[in-house]
This record gives sequence, structure tokens and C-alpha cells, in this order.
Amino acid sequence: MNWRQIFLVLKREYLTRVKSKGFIWATILVPVGFAAFIGIVVFISVWESDVSFEIGILDETSQVAESLVEMNAARYLNYSEMSVDTLRSMVQREQITGYIVITEENITENRSLELIYSGSGGIQLLTSIQADVREVIREERLRRADVSPEIQSIYDTRIGLDSRRLTREGLDVDDDTLFFSVVGMLMGIIIFVAIFSYGGYITRGVIEEKTNRIIEVIASSVKPIELLTGKMAGVGALAITQFGIWILAFLGLSSIAGPVAMSLMNQQPQLEGELAEAQAELPFFLDMPTIETSLIVFFVIFFLLGYLLYSSLFAAIGSAADSDTDTQQLMLPITAPIMIAYFIMLHTWRSPDSLLSVVSSMIPFFSPILMITRIAITEVPVWQISLAIFLMLITFAGTMWLSAKIYKVGILSYGNSAGFKDLLKWVKQ
Amino acid sequence: MSTIQVKNLSKYFGKTKAVQNVSFNVEKGRITGLLGPNGAGKTTTIRMINYIMPQDEGSITINGLSVSAKTQKMIGYMPEERGLYKKMKVGEQLVYLSQLKGLSKEKAKEQIKYWLNRFGAYDWHSKAVGELSKGMSQKIQFIATIVHDPDIYIFDEPFSGLDPINSELLKEIIIELREKGKTVLFSTHRMEQVEQMCDDICLFNNGKVVLTGNLRQVKKDFGKNTVLIEFEGDGGFLDELTNVRINNRSTNFAEIRILDDRNHQDILIKAMQNAEIHKFQLVEPSLNEIFISTVGEDNIKNKEELLA
Repeated sequence: MNWRQIFLVLKREYLTRVKSKGFIWATILVPVGFAAFIGIVVFISVWESDVSFEIGILDETSQVAESLVEMNAARYLNYSEMSVDTLRSMVQREQITGYIVITEENITENRSLELIYSGSGGIQLLTSIQADVREVIREERLRRADVSPEIQSIYDTRIGLDSRRLTREGLDVDDDTLFFSVVGMLMGIIIFVAIFSYGGYITRGVIEEKTNRIIEVIASSVKPIELLTGKMAGVGALAITQFGIWILAFLGLSSIAGPVAMSLMNQQPQLEGELAEAQAELPFFLDMPTIETSLIVFFVIFFLLGYLLYSSLFAAIGSAADSDTDTQQLMLPITAPIMIAYFIMLHTWRSPDSLLSVVSSMIPFFSPILMITRIAITEVPVWQISLAIFLMLITFAGTMWLSAKIYKVGILSYGNSAGFKDLLKWVKQ
Repeated sequence: MSTIQVKNLSKYFGKTKAVQNVSFNVEKGRITGLLGPNGAGKTTTIRMINYIMPQDEGSITINGLSVSAKTQKMIGYMPEERGLYKKMKVGEQLVYLSQLKGLSKEKAKEQIKYWLNRFGAYDWHSKAVGELSKGMSQKIQFIATIVHDPDIYIFDEPFSGLDPINSELLKEIIIELREKGKTVLFSTHRMEQVEQMCDDICLFNNGKVVLTGNLRQVKKDFGKNTVLIEFEGDGGFLDELTNVRINNRSTNFAEIRILDDRNHQDILIKAMQNAEIHKFQLVEPSLNEIFISTVGEDNIKNKEELLA
């Protein structure tokens, strides 16, 4: 192996791709898309609170209307002294969104209330109104039943579940399992997508050299193994560049997203009822638990190992095919394990310590996707991580050897795409 | 010592014997032609000399060294299947290819500038190869082959697919290279090109070398036993001749190789009785004829191609 040659190949692979329009656009558009996504989420929640729906309450009992107004003065208006006809015409003239008539039967008997409204507001409005009237009517009934405050407070209980993790060092820390489950799944998906896209770069690159017929000129200067290594390293460097930019953009965006969202919300100081709850979720971006450096390091390790493992095979496929369209059949043995890993991952992120998750996360072709998901979510024993890395390295040596053999023969065989029989023959040569 | 020495070279693809026990030498400062129909093993041999493919048996030495990554750099190789990166710019591409051949970037740029100017192609420097016409990219391909100024040049079917202008240009380059004392090896299935340019020949058929040596000597050895005849009138008399082989026959021309020691004057007499003779000439056999009589008519694959 001549490192100068490898470096020259690497440089060409890297520079021609990094300068290509497709790469530049993808690199820019992903963070822009991410920013747009956050922007839309923020916008929706802010915009939502701008619209108010006014519901007239005609309370014949005059006992619950005030409680509703107290609950949400912007929404409920006490119109008990007006007639039903007036309220009807107000709805028709769009002065109010709707009205509710509350009678004695609604309180004493379990009769449903009726909302007469213009139809705007949607399900969210209906559910929140329903929750509100249920609450005031229940309170009214409790009041009439003259129950003791103790019992009243029983009705107010809402038990949640907070969880804290006790680590081996004895610290109990805030448990962010839900957050990290999402992170773990996302990391698995990112590696899944990345293996496919960068692997695709390699396959197409190899086929391009074959169809352009430049391969023989190159082969008269560079050994196939040097060319293969240079290619994989070049696209690998490209992957690192792209991910580097994305990670920086992500960190930058999420650090400004929180304050921006907050300042937008502060223009709308009165948080009301259901909306208050909706907005309380927003500071998720602000309040993000810190992702440990070790997790990022593991992500990079498993990403790179997965990339190496698969990209060598993608190169072998490219060398055996004669055109882009011929790759489908040959691709199957490579795409199958990635797809299987992906489907197992859909189970793993919910149940990271199940036998299936543990065992398959140590199968080298699945590890890049499954192990990182597990590491993000749960405490994976060191031996499992080390074993997975070790097995991947060994497998990589194997796939590289196999691919180098196929590649060496494949790049010089034109005419038609090779089948699996041919590949076997090439390996034996 | 010969520049390229090929000894007992063999290569098998499964059960196919692509090259069998082939030996020949390429001498310094001379143009050697590898001849033979398609599928005779020329390209496979050339790939082995270029260290692109490993041989199964035998040895190849270049200036006394066994083929290796090092000997690759001594050779400028233009394969039969030619191509360049379509999206790369001409200049960048040439720099890349010559760097792979071991040139420094500065030296490469200097050489590229010289050759681009020489071919009147300097304006294309910053164009992507995909934007060039076919003729233009053929020129770029020549430059890519010769830019690192090696001592040995190997061209595989160099004239196939070239337009007439570039054909001439390549011929000039090859002759010029010999004048500079460089060694050239090229393969072809077109015999007339060899007659015009080669010093030495090496005939391939079915994976074997059937004849090798100095072109003039080879021709001399076959003797002046071929008649070129130009006539007007009925050519039917040609069919009555026995023990001859007629090549290149047309309505008023024929190349007749006499296969026994019969006097050629007999043919002239017979011809004069049947037609008006415009020209009658006794010459050395053509390479085509030499090839056919060496391997035997029945053993030639793709014969039509040879005679085309």
C-alpha cells in the first residue's frame, strides 16, 4: 500500500464531492429545514394563543356561570340575562363563537350540555370546553352535596410519576429516559440513513469510473486496494464534514431557539387554561437535558465503524455492476441486514434491555444502529460495548478482504453485471 | 537487454486459456506491434505488462525489473477502453492523473501547460471533460497518457474510434516518440497500420504467439511470391488458378499469393489471354497474407475483421 496514492485518491474523492452542488445544497438545507421545523412549532403555539373563542353562557341556575368566567375570562362570558334568541343571532353575526345553555337538569341529572356554535375552533376547542364544564359542574354538585373539604380535595388529586435514576456511583439523578429514548432512536435512524446515503455515494462512484472507462487508466497507476481505501476514506471524510456542519448548526440553532421562543411567548403574557399547558411544553428546547460527550463519542465511533463495514461492501457491489440500474439485485444482501437492524431498533428503543435487543446489538451488522440506541437509553455494560466494537472491527477486516477481492476483478470486467456465482468465483481466484 | 521481456506468460480465466506460454521482447527505441484478431489475448497480455492483472505463469520484466507499482510509473498506457472523469475539469484531471504517476504538482502543471499548448487546447483547461467534443477529449486522453514523460508507451488499439485528424496526430506522436528514443508497444487488429509504423511485430492467435521478429526480416523470409495484378475485363480466370490464395480481390484488382514454386509468369500469360493487363507487380506478401499463412486459414477467429 502506497499512502501517497491513497491520499491522492482520497483528496480527489473528497474535493470533487464537497464542491458539488448536491452536497452543498444538502448541507445547507438540512439545518435550514430543522430551523424551519422549530420555527413552525413555535409559530403554531404562539399563533394559536392569539385566537380567542368567546362562548356565551346562559346559566338558568346562575350558579356555575361565574365559576366558568373565573376559570377563563377571555373565553366564557356570562350572558345569563339574555334570551336564547339574542345569543343565536349573536352567533350568526359572529359576535361570539357559540353559547351554552345550562339548566338545573344539567347539574342534578347527568344530562349532556349542548354547545351551539359556528363550527370554528375544532376538536381542541370542544375538548377544552368539555373539560371546563365538567369541572365546574362537578364542583357545583360537590358543593350542593355539602361534602367535607377533605373529600373535595380527594377529587382534586392528580397523581403523576416522577422518576430518578440511581447510578452505580450512588448519585440519584434526574431521569430523562423519555428524552434519551427519542435521542437513541434518532441516532439509530441517522446512522441507518447515513449508511445508505454514503454507501450509495461509493457505489455510484465506482460505477461511474467503470462506465466512464477511466478505471483502466487509474488501475495502471494505482493498486485496486489503494483506490478502494482512498475512496472509502474520501467519502468518510465527506461524511465527517457534513455531520460536523450539521452538529454545529444544530447546537447553534437550539441555543437560540429557546430564547427566541420565550421572547415570542412573552408578548402573550396571559396564559390561559389549556393553552398554558400547550405552551408549557415548548421550553423543551430550552430545557433539554445535556447530551453527554461520551454519548457523542460513541455515536461517532459506531457511525464510523458502521460506515466502514458497509461501505466496503457497497464498493464491491458497484464494481460488480455494470450500470446504476443493475445494482438492485446485488444490493439485497447488504440492504437486508440494515433493514432488519432498523426494524429491531423500533423494538429496542422501547425495550433496550430485552434479550432480543442485547443479543442483536452485538451482531456486527446490526451494532451500528442498535448499540448506539441502547447506549443512549440505558446503562449498557462496558463488556457489551467493547465486544460489539471488537466484533465489528473483525468483521470489517473480513468484509474489506472480501470486497478487495471482488473489487479487483470487478472493476475490469465490462459487458454485463456479475451474479453471485461470479462474485464467488472472483473471491476464490 | 530488452526494454520489455515477456517469458512463458500464461493467464487463465476459469477454463478459458486467454494467454498461453507467450514470449516476446520489446526493444528500446523501437515500435513494436502486437497483432491479431480480437480475442487473441493482446489486451490481456498488455494488462499484465501494465501490472493491472496478475499473470498465472511466466515472468514479465521491464528494464530488468519484475512488473510492480514501480514499473507502472515507467509506462504511459492508453487502454482500448478510453475514458476520463466527465465532471472534472481538464486541468485538474490531468494534474491528478500525472500525480498518480508520481509527478509533483508543479512539474505536472508545467508539463500539462506544454502539451495543452502544443495541441492548441490550452483554452479548455478549465472546462469539464463532459463539455468537450469527442475529438477534443481524445486529445486530452493522449496528453493524460504521455504527460509524465515515461520511457515506455503502450497503446491498446490506439486508432479505434479516433477521428481522422486525431489518428494522424497520434501517428505523429508515436513516430516522434521513437525519434526521441522512447519505446512504443501497440496492439491492433488492423494490419495496414503496422506496415506503416512498426519496426517489430508479434503475431497473436488464440492466446498464442505465432510469429515474432523484425517486420522487414519477416517479410523477406516469406519471399517475393505475391503478385499484384490490375486488369480490365473478365476476372473469371482468377478462379481457374490453382494453389494460390487470392486476397483483396475486386473487379479489376487482385493480390495473388503463390503457394507452390510455380513461376509467376504463368499467371501473367493466363491473365493476358483473358483480360487487358494494366499492372503486374511481384512483391513481398502483405502482413495479412503472412498472418493467414502462418496460422492457417481455418484457425483464424474473426477473419472478416482482419481483412476489413
